[in-house]
Amino acid sequence: MRIYGLELLRGLTITLGHFINSYTIGFRRTFRNRMRGQVRQHPADKGVFTVQYPDERLRVPERFRVLPVLIFDGKKGEQWKQETERCTACGICAKVCPPQCIWIVQGKDPATAKPVAKASEFFIDADVCMNCGFCAEYCPFDAIKMDHNFELGAEERHVSHIFDINKLHVSTEYYAETHPKAWGEEQVRRKAEADKKAATAAAAKKEAPPA
Amino acid sequence: MSEQKILFRPSEEQLLEQEIRRHILIAKWDKLIEMVDPIYNWGRRSSLWPLQFGLACCAIEMIATAASRFDIARFGAELFRASPRQADLMIVSGTVTKKMVPMIVRLYNQMPEPKYVISMGACATAGGPFKEGYNVVSGIDKFLPVDVYIAGCPPTPQALLHALMTLQKKIDQQTIKKVRWYQKKAEPEIPVPMLGPDLVDLRRSEEIKARCASAEVEAKPAQLPVMIPAPKLTPTEAEGAAPASVELSKRLNTAIGRDAVAPSGSSLVIQPDALVQVGKSLKLHPDLALDYLSNLTCSDYQDCYEVVYHLCSTKKPGPMVTLKVRADKGNPHLPSLSSVWPGADFQEREVWDLYGVRFDGHPNLKRILMWEGFEGHPMRKDYLEPYYEGPGKIFPSRWKEGHHQRAEERVPFADNVKYPKGFDPSQWTVPKEEFSPVTSQSLQQIEGDTLVVNLGPQHPSTHGVFRMKVRVDGERILALEPVMGYMHRNHEKIGERNTYLMIFPYTDRLDYICSMGNNFGYAVAVEKLLGVKPPERAEYIRVIMAELTRVLNHFWSIGFLLNDLGAFFTPALYALEERELILDLFEMASGSRMMCNYMRFGGVAADLPEEFLPFCNSLVNDRLPKAIEQLDRYLTRNEILLNRCRRVGVLPRDAAIAFSAAGPVLRGSGVEYDVRRAEPYSIYDRFDFKIPTFPEGDVYARYRIRIAEMWESLKILKQALKELPGGEIQAGKKLWNIRVPAGESYGRVENPKGELGFYVVSDGTDHPYRYHVRAPSFINLTALELMCKGHMVADVVAILGSIDIVLGETDR
Repeated sequence: MRIYGLELLRGLTITLGHFINSYTIGFRRTFRNRMRGQVRQHPADKGVFTVQYPDERLRVPERFRVLPVLIFDGKKGEQWKQETERCTACGICAKVCPPQCIWIVQGKDPATAKPVAKASEFFIDADVCMNCGFCAEYCPFDAIKMDHNFELGAEERHVSHIFDINKLHVSTEYYAETHPKAWGEEQVRRKAEADKKAATAAAAKKEAPPA
Repeated sequence: MSEQKILFRPSEEQLLEQEIRRHILIAKWDKLIEMVDPIYNWGRRSSLWPLQFGLACCAIEMIATAASRFDIARFGAELFRASPRQADLMIVSGTVTKKMVPMIVRLYNQMPEPKYVISMGACATAGGPFKEGYNVVSGIDKFLPVDVYIAGCPPTPQALLHALMTLQKKIDQQTIKKVRWYQKKAEPEIPVPMLGPDLVDLRRSEEIKARCASAEVEAKPAQLPVMIPAPKLTPTEAEGAAPASVELSKRLNTAIGRDAVAPSGSSLVIQPDALVQVGKSLKLHPDLALDYLSNLTCSDYQDCYEVVYHLCSTKKPGPMVTLKVRADKGNPHLPSLSSVWPGADFQEREVWDLYGVRFDGHPNLKRILMWEGFEGHPMRKDYLEPYYEGPGKIFPSRWKEGHHQRAEERVPFADNVKYPKGFDPSQWTVPKEEFSPVTSQSLQQIEGDTLVVNLGPQHPSTHGVFRMKVRVDGERILALEPVMGYMHRNHEKIGERNTYLMIFPYTDRLDYICSMGNNFGYAVAVEKLLGVKPPERAEYIRVIMAELTRVLNHFWSIGFLLNDLGAFFTPALYALEERELILDLFEMASGSRMMCNYMRFGGVAADLPEEFLPFCNSLVNDRLPKAIEQLDRYLTRNEILLNRCRRVGVLPRDAAIAFSAAGPVLRGSGVEYDVRRAEPYSIYDRFDFKIPTFPEGDVYARYRIRIAEMWESLKILKQALKELPGGEIQAGKKLWNIRVPAGESYGRVENPKGELGFYVVSDGTDHPYRYHVRAPSFINLTALELMCKGHMVADVVAILGSIDIVLGETDR
């Protein structure tokens, strides 16, 4: 004979377990980790805890991507300048962009009116951008990167969602903070390149005297 | 007492009263209100009840926000209301299509004041990446007053919470004197837009009429798409035909007694009048037994429309057979194959809708993704969408002289619409649908006891914007017709404008629960043409990601099946917990929770980060087995679940094959067919795993299949994690402007929802000439009516839940 409802009760013990856990684990967490700032769940922890946004945030991984930003060499709070910006207006980001939301005007030398390797205007339409990260992935100059800032709620869109060249620029210091690993790798790579360059230059010098 | 009197007769008493009023009582109405305002605002800001209403990918993140990890209840907004009458916040979460926008406006009109709108994500805000599509509205703010916009695609749950807080701050600024809903003049309702030859905003109908009567109605394109001729027939092997197709065409010609089949490369081109005959003989052929129509689609060539059929067998393993039939351009029509393979039903309707090829003998040939009355067949090469800019990206206007310009600024109507010349909105009559609105007169004429009920497109249990027209006798279903296209966002048309690489992030947005699987399928299809093989490590990473996706998807679908059965949200919340952790893994590796965009031709985008493997190992070896076991223990033998699911929605084995059902639906009907075994792609031939099947074919069997498949996926994951080799992750150099050799390929993978196929025709340039997605969610719905007939209305919801559809993929 089968008793109806037995399995149902068995299932309810699981619900009860969750209920109890929410107090035992939840309380412990509340006292131990109050206001940790950035948090991350470990798979070995039981259940999933509630992130108390905005008091604490889920720490995003380094590769996390929202909107692209342009990088210039400098400190936080500095104003970007043509000399410090990394973008060369080569246009690869605009060409690889799937919804075609990047607009670049190549700069001109004010004296000769010849095109220079700098962008004079740079727009990203956040209303079209799909956050895919291709621009950052294929940029040969490490000039465009994906930002982590997701807090972008705004009461209008016609002005604030068009990011122009001034709004897009962030410093390398800021980038190094959000992407420490990628920044480290970049430094190593640049140093290797510089060393190689110096070595070839030195070799050329060595060969030069006899001639 | 008025102030003036006090001024004229200031006695001591009155002076005292004046003092008291100034300092103790609040004499002025304004000041009183200022005191009330904070309380009034606090009340509204702390109980924002959102409408239970989701449109696309963003809705998934909205659900995640409501789940335990982010817990929107902390903001007093946990009460997602299924009825607009009880809601005061509309979160427009996803792409707003032209077909859907009338319903959205209607819902908004039904919401009582005070009401707020959050536009979530790039699509709702302005059309987003799908803006250029012919069925996409360029922003919900064209119709509704939006309070807060969120950028992002999709915004993460925390971003949504931030938007909610932004809205709360906005509410804090309001004052009871000025709020819209206490003004003397009532705000008029927003007129519901009309579906004519294109979307008609009735507030602009005069302007539309005037413009259509006189000036140009379409922008003048600088460059038109180039068409190529259809592939040549190759009667012999010397001319490039595959030996198998030469042999098969000979056999078929002798079988039907005339010369009607000719080989063309590795496919067969058949005369239209012989199509049904050839189909029947292939299906009944003892050696081939091609009983399964995997894919049906069409391409538009210079000289013809070519309809393509991909066939395979569930009984005998073997390569796929590709049939092609050509229809002339003037009056394209072909015989319907739905009598041979009923699974052709929806796919033929799609070809009719998008290409205008008629299928003679089709039982119900009408538009499926667009609406009746829409002007033009949008997938034809000569159909130019309103925002048409060029035949293919990269658009030259973006670089060197890329002054920003919105798409609206360069088209005649300043919107994503186009109308035929001489169009007058007031003269438009909506083409007749078989269900006319009920009037007192029509009520008198109703005979019998049946009535028509509409489920959707806004319905909490339709898993998105899906509609079912149901004819019921009491509670019993007599007939059911799925109506879709409410999220048709022109994936294929945009795909043909894109370069090959650009399609990757768009595939993420097909089945947005399983973006890794979609990436995989597309990579497999194009790699066939490119002849590239990814390195070992990349192959393993791909398999790990695909199997994690399967686990994630089945958690999701079981959770929401239980939701549909009425176990409101507890099982779903438990299932979502594990999903969140898998999403953490995806985010680590690819940078996004849902839109991974992780695979590339010949590899993956980036190597696994350091922290990935420890996390993944712990998840796969310890946590997920426990979680699946718990879910199994929690639900599988539950009496209510058994009563609701057993013998409900039965799809017999033969019907499952005939209707081209795929994935868990097919295997739940006892057919042991899985692309990972039938046509092993990547490195699936190396792993030891079983293909679970259940013969019953009911909702319960489909539920159990999913549990069993999760166990099998874990098995594969354990093997893959153990054997994961080191080394490269990309074959050759990573290119952004890849050119693909001319030819065509059909690549398919076993996605969690079934066989996901990509049909790509290349003309040797950097963007595909034809790009088609065989969507399992779409084709699995063909058998929905059969499953639902004779059951109760409440069962329909459970049956739909057990098929597990995602509208992004159904409507594409």
